[in-house]
Amino acid sequence: MLNIALPKGRLGDRAYRLFAACGFPCAAMEQEDRRLVLTADNGQVQYLLVKPSDVPIYVEHGAADAGVVGRDVLLEGGNDVYELLDLGFGACRMCVAAPLNFREDLSAPLRVATKYPAIAKRFYAGKGREIEVIKLNGSIELAPILGLSDVIVDIVETGSTLKQNHLEVIETVLSISARFIANRAAAKFKPGELQPLIAALQAAKGEII
Amino acid sequence: MEQHGEARREQLMADLRTLYESLGYKRFSMRRFEEYALYLENKNFLKSDSVLAFTNPDGKLMALKPDVTLSIVKHARPERQGVEKVYYKESVFRLAPTAREFVEIDQMGAEAMGAVDRYTASEVVRLAIESLRAIGEPYVLEVSHMGFASGLMEAAGLTPEQKERFFSLIRRKSLHELRQAVNEEGVAEPYAGRIAALADLSGPFPETLARARAIAPAGPAADALEELESLYSLLAALGLDDHLLLDFSMLNDLDYYSGVVFQGYVQGVPRVVLSGGRYDPLMRRFDKEGDGIGFALYLDELTRLLADRPTWDADVLALYQETDNPIQVNAAVFALVAAGLRVFAATEPPAGFRAEKTLRLNGADFTEVP
Repeated sequence: MLNIALPKGRLGDRAYRLFAACGFPCAAMEQEDRRLVLTADNGQVQYLLVKPSDVPIYVEHGAADAGVVGRDVLLEGGNDVYELLDLGFGACRMCVAAPLNFREDLSAPLRVATKYPAIAKRFYAGKGREIEVIKLNGSIELAPILGLSDVIVDIVETGSTLKQNHLEVIETVLSISARFIANRAAAKFKPGELQPLIAALQAAKGEII
Repeated sequence: MEQHGEARREQLMADLRTLYESLGYKRFSMRRFEEYALYLENKNFLKSDSVLAFTNPDGKLMALKPDVTLSIVKHARPERQGVEKVYYKESVFRLAPTAREFVEIDQMGAEAMGAVDRYTASEVVRLAIESLRAIGEPYVLEVSHMGFASGLMEAAGLTPEQKERFFSLIRRKSLHELRQAVNEEGVAEPYAGRIAALADLSGPFPETLARARAIAPAGPAADALEELESLYSLLAALGLDDHLLLDFSMLNDLDYYSGVVFQGYVQGVPRVVLSGGRYDPLMRRFDKEGDGIGFALYLDELTRLLADRPTWDADVLALYQETDNPIQVNAAVFALVAAGLRVFAATEPPAGFRAEKTLRLNGADFTEVP
């Protein structure tokens, strides 16, 4: 049996629909069950429902053989896993956003508020720009309004939250979508289960968007 | 009877020591620290940049060893005896894989340096296989050759930066991002497709080798496949091919490794437990004559695997009374121990203590409590 970590929430719901279409439906999953471990109807897959940022941790430590996670979480965590497939859905961008008509003061370090300090540091290090990272856990858009930071690095889907808070995208850091990841050892010991699943996901992913 | 993970690990280490010594590998002992400069100059050889450093009384920056192979190669004197074979069991100090915290890790390994011929190389690979087998089945030894990927990239005329970018994506088997990167870097066909194929080029030895042959340009890449083929036929002839996999996504640093590289996995451990390969460029860096091949076993990864889940704190809880004769108690307790039982002797059961059996002293012997 394969243990698959799915992120709770919208991304996980979509991922589950994809697995169901690949032949692993789970009746309990469709009935608002509150359990965190659910077995697919055919008994070949066990779904673990975890916090999105914990998915790569479960997979790296082998508590799950595989999982579905956004590229943002994967790059932020830097976990040592195989990243086997781009599932295509959950597409959005990680961007730098600033107040309208923002002019950058190049004589001082840029203050960046973000939920993704590792990604922000790497992005600005690549440009040779010194920054001061302010790690926040939510409502990032508030930071530049209150003068807590100059810019924010955050995920942008439609851009409407930014607009309502008088912010605009000034740069794209990276593009994001859902990834199918696997534990390194599981890939060696369970190829007979993983390979057909990857092939099925590859074939079905175009249809479930 | 239950055995603790620690006891089993010690047994395993003793077995491995006997194995290495019976093939003439000499124990290599060393201090716990080296000059920090050694690790600074060879940063890419280490798995992580973080080194635990301190200043010695002369003001020199020292480091607690994060790695053993560098020290062994530095002190190697292979020119004296053709090939020098050593093994070690040492502590190394590294960042824990899960937290930003230094931990002391037990490592064991074997190295052959100097005139490494085909037999010696196969001996080290076989030792790696025997070491994995000693830990337990099922295990997998995953093999690759640095010359294949580097030869392919050389033939495509890539810059070191491009190579580094592709290497990190190949290691993650990130086929989709690799395709995109190859495209962005403007790599021409047929090399674009061939480099992208590296992320996915893994599986049983003979078929994966055949798939690799189909995309190998003449030169170092083709030579690498020759060498893999000859290693495989040697191991197959010895009946050691059951647990072999070929995976070209496994890549070490080119400044240190050339030739065959390998990694071992055992079922039940989510991470690599053995890692090694041919490190001729490392020997060159230290101006040593000849070549080198070796491997390290990460023993800390094994403790939990080797442990039984402890159900009981002891096999027997042996109860006596303050008024009992201590000579009798002593003799009776040690009689139980001699029978192979784990015994905890006390007048009262300690809080929360769980033993498989509770016995009470009755005359000269412990007997079941009714």
